Amino acid sequence: MIYVVLFFLAFSLLLYVLLGGADFGAGILELFSSKKNQDITKKTIYRVMGPVWEANHIWIIILIVILWIAFPAYYKVMVTSLHIPITFMLLGITLRGVAFVFRHYDAYEDKSQYVYNWLFRISSLITPIFLGMLFGAMVSGEITTENTTSFYVVFMASWLHIFSFLVGLFFASLCTFLSAVLLIGEADEEGYPVYVRKATIATIVVVVLGFMVICYGYFSNSYFVKGILNNWVSISLLIVSALCLFPLWFFIRKGNRIYSRFFAGLQVVLIITVAVVPHFPNLLITKETTLSIFENSAPDAVIRVLAISLLIGGSIILPGLFHLLKSFKLIKILEKK
Amino acid sequence: MENLDAARLQMAFTLIFHIVFACIGMVMPFFMVVSHKKWLNTGNPIYLKLTKAWQKGVAIFFVTGAVSGTALSFELGLLWPEFMEHAGPIIGMPFSLEGAAFFVEAIALGFYLYGWNKISPKFHWFTGIIVGVAGVASGILVVSANGWMNAPSGFDYVDGKFLNIDPIKALLNPAWFTQALHMTLAAFTATGFAVAGIHAYQVLKGKQKELHKKAFKIAITFGAIAAILQPISGDISAKDIAKRQPVKLAAMEAHYETSKGVPLYIGGIVDTEKKEVHYKIEIPKALSFLAFGDFNAEVKGLNDFPEDEIPNVAIVHYAFQVMVGLGGILMLSGIFFFFTNKKKKQWLHKKFFWKLFVFLTPAGFLALEAGWIVTEVGRQPWIIHKIMRTKDAVTPMPGIVVSFYLYVFVYSVLTIAVAWLLSRQIKSLNNSSIESI
Repeated sequence: MIYVVLFFLAFSLLLYVLLGGADFGAGILELFSSKKNQDITKKTIYRVMGPVWEANHIWIIILIVILWIAFPAYYKVMVTSLHIPITFMLLGITLRGVAFVFRHYDAYEDKSQYVYNWLFRISSLITPIFLGMLFGAMVSGEITTENTTSFYVVFMASWLHIFSFLVGLFFASLCTFLSAVLLIGEADEEGYPVYVRKATIATIVVVVLGFMVICYGYFSNSYFVKGILNNWVSISLLIVSALCLFPLWFFIRKGNRIYSRFFAGLQVVLIITVAVVPHFPNLLITKETTLSIFENSAPDAVIRVLAISLLIGGSIILPGLFHLLKSFKLIKILEKK
Repeated sequence: MENLDAARLQMAFTLIFHIVFACIGMVMPFFMVVSHKKWLNTGNPIYLKLTKAWQKGVAIFFVTGAVSGTALSFELGLLWPEFMEHAGPIIGMPFSLEGAAFFVEAIALGFYLYGWNKISPKFHWFTGIIVGVAGVASGILVVSANGWMNAPSGFDYVDGKFLNIDPIKALLNPAWFTQALHMTLAAFTATGFAVAGIHAYQVLKGKQKELHKKAFKIAITFGAIAAILQPISGDISAKDIAKRQPVKLAAMEAHYETSKGVPLYIGGIVDTEKKEVHYKIEIPKALSFLAFGDFNAEVKGLNDFPEDEIPNVAIVHYAFQVMVGLGGILMLSGIFFFFTNKKKKQWLHKKFFWKLFVFLTPAGFLALEAGWIVTEVGRQPWIIHKIMRTKDAVTPMPGIVVSFYLYVFVYSVLTIAVAWLLSRQIKSLNNSSIESI
């Protein structure tokens, strides 16, 4: 049963990265656009994301609830030592959510739009950086579980370092990449070449930043990165991911909606797998030790009930979500071809 | 400020904020679908206009409720890691179901908001119903988790360890029903009166009178019915608390000396030093009757409880008075509305009628927040009743006061922004013609 729970944890993570990530990325794209393109992007985002964006961001709630119910020990280390970056991330989520709604539901379009727009764009960039930093910090080996040390060591040094920052930047660029690829298929004539160009740039940025994370980790003797480089599964997946860049590149250039999306999604799946596989189940790497996600996991009775709730909930939510996506044309492209 | 106090204040502040938005987000969809249904039935464009105006309100409040809810799901762990480590698995069930219900709500809302003229009208209307029902369901589930903190069950507590966990028993803890019933009615009362009050104000101002009168009627009908039913639920809650958490009941009534045939205090100033209440109105034997259904029943006083297991009596007592007082006024106003609507239709053209409901706009929410203060402060010093103390659950991270001020700042700005946005919605609604929908 614990594997059912774990499956849903991984599944929520994947969907949050894909859907929520594309959502964050849309804001980042808008931030790094010329004024004219910003307006195009704003309209496209609203049309494409409007009906689904709230659902996209509930995956993180599902994620966190599964974590605290099934893997409380793991959750506790995270919320204690990463209190500060989590708070920043929450701030970002809050401001971004309200800015998105305010700018579309304000009855008058006047100067206040300027505030909403910038709030939306900047929080779209900052939130995924902090999300990435959280993951970076969890595997960096800088978190300490000893309670005796100073405030700085316990609550700051655990996340405030170059490695986690690089992971944060990497994640933000991944979001931008996803969003740009998604929007290729949604844009009108005017926006189309814009997103093809942006998707190309974003792909390059993702690759460069990914390479930097690996290099920095390797030279700073990171246990996490060394694990990746010493594991044949993750190495081969890395190679697959690199090879898949060619078809991805090709389909982005051709502006093929289905295959560019498929290969973009595949990249994300591969990246997550590469990051998780070598150390699984030891997904928390602290200064002193590694902590298995199964360590002190909840008793069987809890896991069983949770697994059943997730199966029932999933069987209601997923068709509903699929229907929603379908009704509002996100999937319609698939049918067209 | 002590870390514990800062953490408690931050929790209180974020909950006070979240509760308002969550309640409106779960109740307003019902107003919206009633108006929508009336439009489908009558074809009167005013109802369509009202539905669209309300759906914007729902969207704004839903999102604010959703993001503050996301923040809360993390804050529970950020502020109370020790609590979540042990309680998380036990009360996981209501939270995971709540997550599912909330998800359903978001999906249905996506359909509703963007479905105009795109999906079949009947299905479109039905998605509005799902929004409301899923919202109420998630509200009930969250309250059940809170109920567990008051009435922990579904585990054996042996040598500081939580053994033999039964998540279903924890979900259906002894407090869940009374609390969920009380809260659901409170949400309808508070939102009903608040929305009705805003529209009553617009009626007084005299713009788009017909629309605002229709809006008022829908909202106040929900609010009034809930307010009239609320005392029954309150009575069930009081009897339940008398049995389960006698110290909370004693604090609510600032009742110090154990005795029989205890009077009910109305108002009064609590003197915690001398352990007495000044300037109160006494109703003889009423507390004994309300708590146990017997005028001569013995009610345990605060003096009979250990000093370190007593909550802050003054806060709990005052909050309780505010809740009951406002609840009473709202109930009477609800009856007054139905009376006017049936027997004295001419009053609907008088200013005093509308002024009364404008005056009552915040009353429901004040009562609701006061009620939560009663139950939350009244549970102290425990975070899990009789199992874990709040001070043992707080995060080891120092300087929570900084994050408290951060939250106060951000949420205050948000509150002002949402209020400003709503006033702009109403202004644009009033300035538009019926045809321009």
